[in-house]
Amino acid sequence: MATAQPTSAPQLQRGVEPLRAAEGSSFLWRKLHSLLGILPLGAFLLEHLLSNFEALKGPLAYGQQVYFLNHLPLVRVLEWVFIFLPLLYHAVYGVSIWLRGKSNVVYYPWAGNWMYTLQRYTGLIAFAYLIQHLWRERFTGVMLPENPYYAFHKVQMELANPWMLAIYVVAMIAICWHFSYGVWLFAAKWGITPGVTARRRFGYVCIALGLLLAVAGLASIYAFVGPLYPNAPVPNL
Amino acid sequence: MAERTVVFEIKRQASPDAPSVWERFELPWRPGMNVISAMMEIAGNPVTCEGHCTTPVAYDSNCLEEICGSCAMRINGKARMACSSLVDNLEQPIRVEPLSKFPLVRDLQVDRSVLFENLKKVKAWVPIDGTYDLGSGPRLTPQEQEANYPLSNCISCTCCMEVCPQFNVETGFVGAATIAQVKLFNNHPTGKVFKEERLRALSGDGGIQECGYAQNCVQACPKQLPLTSAISDVGREVVVQKVKDWLKS
Repeated sequence: MATAQPTSAPQLQRGVEPLRAAEGSSFLWRKLHSLLGILPLGAFLLEHLLSNFEALKGPLAYGQQVYFLNHLPLVRVLEWVFIFLPLLYHAVYGVSIWLRGKSNVVYYPWAGNWMYTLQRYTGLIAFAYLIQHLWRERFTGVMLPENPYYAFHKVQMELANPWMLAIYVVAMIAICWHFSYGVWLFAAKWGITPGVTARRRFGYVCIALGLLLAVAGLASIYAFVGPLYPNAPVPNL
Repeated sequence: MAERTVVFEIKRQASPDAPSVWERFELPWRPGMNVISAMMEIAGNPVTCEGHCTTPVAYDSNCLEEICGSCAMRINGKARMACSSLVDNLEQPIRVEPLSKFPLVRDLQVDRSVLFENLKKVKAWVPIDGTYDLGSGPRLTPQEQEANYPLSNCISCTCCMEVCPQFNVETGFVGAATIAQVKLFNNHPTGKVFKEERLRALSGDGGIQECGYAQNCVQACPKQLPLTSAISDVGREVVVQKVKDWLKS
């Protein structure tokens, strides 16, 4: 290493500005992002994975579940207020959180730092996946709200493409990861688990939750692509 | 047998707008030497490995026993106190760089006044000044002392802020040290007169909500402050305060 060899161009470094005490509204927006991730989005994820599990009982049971959900009172209002709008906010604000954080896991490869970084990348995977998932399954093709008994067939055709199957498997794991660590983060940051031991114990609970959801989710994917119901016909109802 | 030596690579920068350069030094090994004592040795004979005469390295330090918080720097890539960084425990060559998130003054000296500004913003003190003698304050129970003592150990070294992925110019995050001091002074029977103001201050832009809970702060803290627990506790209290303020407005 030669002495006096410049390693970087001259530049004046700007420091981090002090706290803007009691100013601004970012507290509200950040806490809203955090809360929406649990309610309603986390609750909807549980509902969705439970409903998917009906696919293991076959095309008819799956169609009946889709029928039931689409005949809830004010279902379109529920869908927009409790799913689409919170999802859009959580995703867009989440990307801004990701952009403003400067991950340093290369220098500090500690467990919490890895989880911090993974929470951002699993969120990005979920966002990208959900755009195509909603576009292809909810807003284009056979309209499932009007034709609920086409649901199994529609999903089976989608997953017949091995690339799409791979995307679904990766996204399922990423979303279950993001949610279960999100629950742990929520408890830590909202002061529900201030104690070190409480956080560790709740960590085990969240690992169990994440594993359970991922296994249940992957099992329902298996119902569409495995030998259980090959080439499921569209029911004549 | 050749004399045992220690090799240092130190990132130098003559002024805030000068280019940075790496300089390499080789020193005789001594038992128990640390990064600060090595830098003192370099100051006695500032000649690089290549035989080039240079200036002594500029750095902040004071107590040399990890209690004043002055000598935080990046050693082999990680923020830590130079005085408690024993050379025998470090991989060589020992690479020493200034903290990366604070404006550079010279060599390993950085301007960490943002922490002082943040502590002032949250009124991290016990108000006892006045025009007459206020008498003795309320007594603290031993249990309260036990709970607060670890938080009072903060030496304002800024390691928790340096290692935090959220502490940067984009977020303007306040950092873990200030949040821990809010908990300390809110727990104090006289200091708690400012409790609501402190909590409201921490809900401002760059406040406690910017914490991403990467937990690097608690890993890096040389004084083992319970920083993540403090963030959790104060986080709950800020939410409760904001809800109260909203309902009473």
